[in-house]
Amino acid sequence: MPDAGHTAPRTAPGSAAPPSPGPSGNTPPPTSSRLGSRLGFRPGFMDELGVLVALVVLVGLVGLVRPNFLHPGTLLNLAASSVFSGTLALGIVFLLAMREIDLSFGWIFNFSAVVAALAMTNGVDPFLAGFMGIVFGAGLGLVNGVLSVALRLPVLIVTLGTFSMYRGLSLVVNQSRAVVPPAEVRQAAYFQLLTAKLFGVVPVITMLFVALAVALHLLLHRTRLGYRTLAIGSNPEAARLAGIPVARTKLQVLTLMGAISGLSGVLFVGFRGAVDPNSGADFLLPVIAAAIIGGTPLAGGSGTVIGALLGVLIIGVISSGIVFLGIDAVWSTFVTGLVIVIAVALDQLVRQGRRRRADRSQDAI
Amino acid sequence: MSPSDLGGCGGDSAPLCRAVVEPPVVVEVAGLSKAYGGVTALERMDLRVRRGRVHAVVGENGAGKSTLMKILAGAVSADSGSIRLDGRQVELGSPRAAQAHGMGIVYQELSLFPDRSVLANLFVDREPRRMGLVSRRRMAEQAAPVLASVGLDVDPDTPVGRLTIGERQLVEIARVLLEDPRVVILDEPNSALNDAETRRLFSILRQLVTRDIAILYVSHRLEEVFEIADAVTVMRNGRPVLSRPVTELHMAEVIRAMVGRDQGELFPPRRPPVAGRRPPALEVRGLTVGEDLVDVSFGAAAGEVVGLAGLEGAGVATLLGAIFGTRRPAAGDVTCLDAAGLPSNPTRAARRGISLVPADRRNQGLMLDNSVLQNLSHVSVGAIQRGSWLRRGSMAAAAGHQVQRLRIKTPSLATHVGQLSGGNQQKVVIGKWLEIQPRLVLLDDPTRGVDIGAKREIYQLIREMADGGGTILFRSTELSELRGLADRILVFYRGRLTTECPPGIASHDLLHAVNTGSLPAASP
Repeated sequence: MPDAGHTAPRTAPGSAAPPSPGPSGNTPPPTSSRLGSRLGFRPGFMDELGVLVALVVLVGLVGLVRPNFLHPGTLLNLAASSVFSGTLALGIVFLLAMREIDLSFGWIFNFSAVVAALAMTNGVDPFLAGFMGIVFGAGLGLVNGVLSVALRLPVLIVTLGTFSMYRGLSLVVNQSRAVVPPAEVRQAAYFQLLTAKLFGVVPVITMLFVALAVALHLLLHRTRLGYRTLAIGSNPEAARLAGIPVARTKLQVLTLMGAISGLSGVLFVGFRGAVDPNSGADFLLPVIAAAIIGGTPLAGGSGTVIGALLGVLIIGVISSGIVFLGIDAVWSTFVTGLVIVIAVALDQLVRQGRRRRADRSQDAI
Repeated sequence: MSPSDLGGCGGDSAPLCRAVVEPPVVVEVAGLSKAYGGVTALERMDLRVRRGRVHAVVGENGAGKSTLMKILAGAVSADSGSIRLDGRQVELGSPRAAQAHGMGIVYQELSLFPDRSVLANLFVDREPRRMGLVSRRRMAEQAAPVLASVGLDVDPDTPVGRLTIGERQLVEIARVLLEDPRVVILDEPNSALNDAETRRLFSILRQLVTRDIAILYVSHRLEEVFEIADAVTVMRNGRPVLSRPVTELHMAEVIRAMVGRDQGELFPPRRPPVAGRRPPALEVRGLTVGEDLVDVSFGAAAGEVVGLAGLEGAGVATLLGAIFGTRRPAAGDVTCLDAAGLPSNPTRAARRGISLVPADRRNQGLMLDNSVLQNLSHVSVGAIQRGSWLRRGSMAAAAGHQVQRLRIKTPSLATHVGQLSGGNQQKVVIGKWLEIQPRLVLLDDPTRGVDIGAKREIYQLIREMADGGGTILFRSTELSELRGLADRILVFYRGRLTTECPPGIASHDLLHAVNTGSLPAASP
């Protein structure tokens, strides 16, 4: 083994000289902070750019056949209807970046919405009830985290169980019926606000979504938590041995995911004015798909919140575009799947190309 | 029956007699060369192994032993040279081809499937079938005599994971024997075995030899080599430097051949030792970790480089893990950097100024798909930084400083670490710890897989860290490094700290101590 471990001395001939303190012949790499990508904070905006182009092309194609589709109101409504799964997709990016996956978020969404709606029904101020829903969701996420850390199990395995636990408890609490706050409650400012449109066109809820995306983007790429998340996803063992607190970071990320799921749930209650026993049941695949289409790999170590936002819109454009084009809506599920396969295939091709170039630049390991 | 039968030459002169009855050569390697990238692993290697003999191949780490064995097993192909089996030239292009030619190998790391039964492991990918279905009955029939011949008395349906390490090795050997091999290669077979298991292994080898099987035996443990082998070949730098029947050899000769000429010029010049002149930064008394480390006591002063020597499993890795907080000690009294007790996890270790450069750079030290900048700040930002926001400007400045100081050859800070050479990768691992100015530095074989130029720079760096007041615990599998760099060397043997050597110790004495736990009797 040790024999094979030797690596080619690819360093410049200068390395043969005995080391001396101070700068030598080799020039220091550029340290200007003009572009994050040049410093290696992020792979650059190329990934998001590709997704953005795909989104524009899709919208353009549908618009070419049905010009009505391009009406700003239509597009903004489409964006508004993507907010709930979209919010979840922004959160799941953190888990994928950490090389984990959460299956239970759809039912955290549901359970938090149910709890918030029941609180409103029982006379709690809707804003306070919404806050309670977010905290409740964060608590469920923390439970996932504690189980994963204490049992040393992947989040995937833990949430296979909590998926059904949260669903079951939610059904117990809502007695298998839709929770609809009474009409006079639904006149409250909370509901007015979330259904309002700025200047009569831009839904408030869409603006909240975009603001959340910006905040989570900064959280992932500009804070210590995001840095630790990406490091753990890239190589958990090396992260641990670099002194990064892996368990604590995992708890934080899962609590964040729970809070985001809860937020999505209480926005849903405010926007729709009710929550079904089955709301959130269909989110699992589209949400993870949106993150993947956006350019976040399952392998961990990198992630893009902005990409996930665009990915959600792509899925939204496909499903509503199919309706606009007059194609039977049953096709939308198939086409969504097809787009996922195309997206990951393209991503894989790009990656392989990159790896091949890297291999050529280093011929021996 | 055995070709080594000496019946006809009792009274004749022995050398002449041997020439007459020496069994035929079964494996003949001639001019075999292999390079990985620019690094030569084998250079015109020659080797002749006789039928029914145990032929030991010894040498220091990186001498090329494993590469040679892998070529013979068909796992690696040579760049040039020839291999003859029973006089016929053969191409061992794949493990399957090598198997078909009668080459069987028992690898250093056991390569069994722990969840599957003994039987399933014996017949991987060549299960006997009946009417297209795997026949358990025929597997059991074929396996029974082989299992008996290696003395493995377990239910063949037991999952391999439930067997002891020694029993698993017997399964490996049985797997090889089922192929009816001409040559059995054992690559460091007993590094994980206890005494009794080693005895059993040797009795099996002796029995195989009587069946005319040739055995190629790679080992670090010279005493055992002298016990079991008929002939010894010493390798150094990919070349055979000594090859003789064991009866004409002394251990001292073998050790001298292994070590070769001293490489003193690689190391920074010596300076007077600091131990005793400064207060100890680390004091360990009676440290015990499970059965891996037993009752170890020593101290290390600020500014001191303490070398740690020991074979795999001798406890050095466990010691480093305990000090860094990845292994929980069962007993012991430790004062470490002015605080009592050891850190309970790596985060606490990092915050106390303890750093670890792990042995497995690619899996434990680096995020290969992350940039140089990110890797260099993993400790300072990931473990130490208190604030929540990244300060990208100062991260970049700090990383740029390390790149310059360590002379890391990289196109830019954004370059993925995976694209750098081994030496530059290792400098990144060291650099991320230098960033926090550690006071106690644990180095686990820091020059493994690093080219000679980078090695020299790393040695210089170790000395600089010590001169700056750091305490260095330096583990290396290359004993010449310990002798060239350490202020004193602690030798571990089977979980215990058995010997402390001065830096001036002769290399063969140190090798002896590592192999046996004590210095040679004649040595002071």
